[in-house]
Amino acid sequence: MTNKDLISKLNSLKNVSPDSSWLASNRELFLAQISNSGADKLSGGQVFFINLKSFLKASSQPVFALGVFMLVLVASSIFGHKLFSQAKPNDSLYIARIISEKAKLNMVFNSEAKNKLAVNFATNHAKDISAVLSDPSFNNEENKDQVAKLNDSFNEEIDNVKKIVNSGVTKAPKLEGEVSEQVEMSDEAISIAAEHKAEQGIQIKEAEPNQASVARTTIAPSTSVKAETKATTTEASSTETKVEAEVSIDAKINEADKMIDEAKESFNNKDYHSVIDKLNEVTEIIK
Amino acid sequence: MPSNIVKKFKNKQTLSRLKSRDKEVFTEVYDANVADIHRFVYFKIGSREEANDLTSIIFLKTWDHIQKNTLEDAKTLRALLYKVARNAIIDYYRERGSQKPISLDDEQNPVDIATDMSQSDKIDDDQDLKRIISKLPFLKEEYREIIIMRFINDLSLEEISDISQKSRGNVRVLLHRALTALRELIEDSPGV
Repeated sequence: MTNKDLISKLNSLKNVSPDSSWLASNRELFLAQISNSGADKLSGGQVFFINLKSFLKASSQPVFALGVFMLVLVASSIFGHKLFSQAKPNDSLYIARIISEKAKLNMVFNSEAKNKLAVNFATNHAKDISAVLSDPSFNNEENKDQVAKLNDSFNEEIDNVKKIVNSGVTKAPKLEGEVSEQVEMSDEAISIAAEHKAEQGIQIKEAEPNQASVARTTIAPSTSVKAETKATTTEASSTETKVEAEVSIDAKINEADKMIDEAKESFNNKDYHSVIDKLNEVTEIIK
Repeated sequence: MPSNIVKKFKNKQTLSRLKSRDKEVFTEVYDANVADIHRFVYFKIGSREEANDLTSIIFLKTWDHIQKNTLEDAKTLRALLYKVARNAIIDYYRERGSQKPISLDDEQNPVDIATDMSQSDKIDDDQDLKRIISKLPFLKEEYREIIIMRFINDLSLEEISDISQKSRGNVRVLLHRALTALRELIEDSPGV
C-alpha cells in the first residue's frame, strides 16, 4: 500500500459519523443549556460594526493600504480645500492649499464652471498676496526676497485671471455671429412661407424694419400657415433673448477686464487696499 | 482570491459575533462542526459513548470560553474547537489515570462507513479500512492526532499548525512520519 492509497482510505473515514438519534437529542439538550445565557440577538448597529471590522481584518494589507490611500486622496480633494483655504502666501501650508485647489479644479468637468473656479482661485491668491504685502511688519527690507517673489506671483495670478476672462470674451463674438446667422435664416423662412401662401391667397404682414431681429407677423386665418409662422416667431424671439444675454455677458467681461487692469495699476502703486477692493468687484462681476 | 477573502471575512465575522455572545451563530457553529469534533474524539479515544459525552462537554466548554471572553488566541473557529477538544481529551485521560489505547474495532459498535462501491470492491475496501482502524490506536499519540486532523477531518496545514502550536514545516514533517509509521504498522501485520 502506497502513501497515496493510504491517504485515500483515510479520507473515506470521514464518513464515520455519530448516531443521528444522539445528534438530535444532544442538540436539544445543548440548546437548552445555552438558552439561559448570552445575548439573544445582536442589534443592527452591532452587526454593522462586526461586519466592518471583519471586512477590514479579512482584506489583505496591500488591498487595505490601497483602499486607505484612495480614501485619503478623495477626502483631501473634497475637504482639503476648506482645510487649507485660510493659508496665506507666506505660510508653509500655502503649497497644500495650491495642491488642493488644483485637485478640486481637476474634479470639475464642466469647462464654464472650471473657468469660474480658476478665476476665483487666482483672484483669491492675488487678494491674499495684496493683504500680506499691505502688512508693514512683513513688507520691509528684511523680507526683500520674499516680497519680490510675491510681486511676481501677483503678476502671474493677475495674468492668469485676465487670460481666463479674455478667453470668455473671445467666445462672445462667435456666438453673436451664430445668432445673426439664425436671424437671417428665420427671416428667409418667413419670406418663403409668405411667397408660398400668397399663391393660395393668404397674406402675411412683415414686421417693422426697426425690429429686424424679431420678426413679428400677423397672419390671416389658415391653420397650416399659423403653425409655420408661430414656429418662426418663437425662434426669432428666442434669438432676441440670446442676443441680449450675450451683450450683457460681453459688457460684464469688459468691465471685469477693466477692473483687473485697474487692480494691477493699484498694485504697482502699492495701493494694496484698493487692489483688494477691485478684485472683490471682479469676483462679484464674474459670479 | 475573492473566494479566499469571502472565506476569511465569514470566519472573522463568525468569531466576532461569537465574541459578542450571539447564540444564533453558536448554534450554526455547532451544527457545522459537531460531526467533525465527534469523529476527532472518537478516533482519539476509541469509544463511541465516551466520544458522545466528550463532544457535548467540548461545545459547552467553548460556549463557556465565549461567555468569559477568552477567544483572543484563536485564529479560526475550527482551530479553537480543536484546541478545546484536545484539552478536554487530556482532562479525560487525566481523570481516568491512564492512556491505554482502546481498539476502535468494537464488535458491539461496528464502524459504519457509507461509500458508493460495488460489493466486491466494498468488501476489499472494508477490510483495508478495518486494518487501518485497528492500527490507529497503536500509533504514537502525536501521529494519530495529526493523521485524524489532516486526512480524516480535512484540516488545512495552517489550522493544524495553529492548533498544535507548530510551524508549517514541522507539521509537514510530522505528517510524513505519521503516514510512514501507519503504513509500516499495517504492512507488518497484513492479515488482521
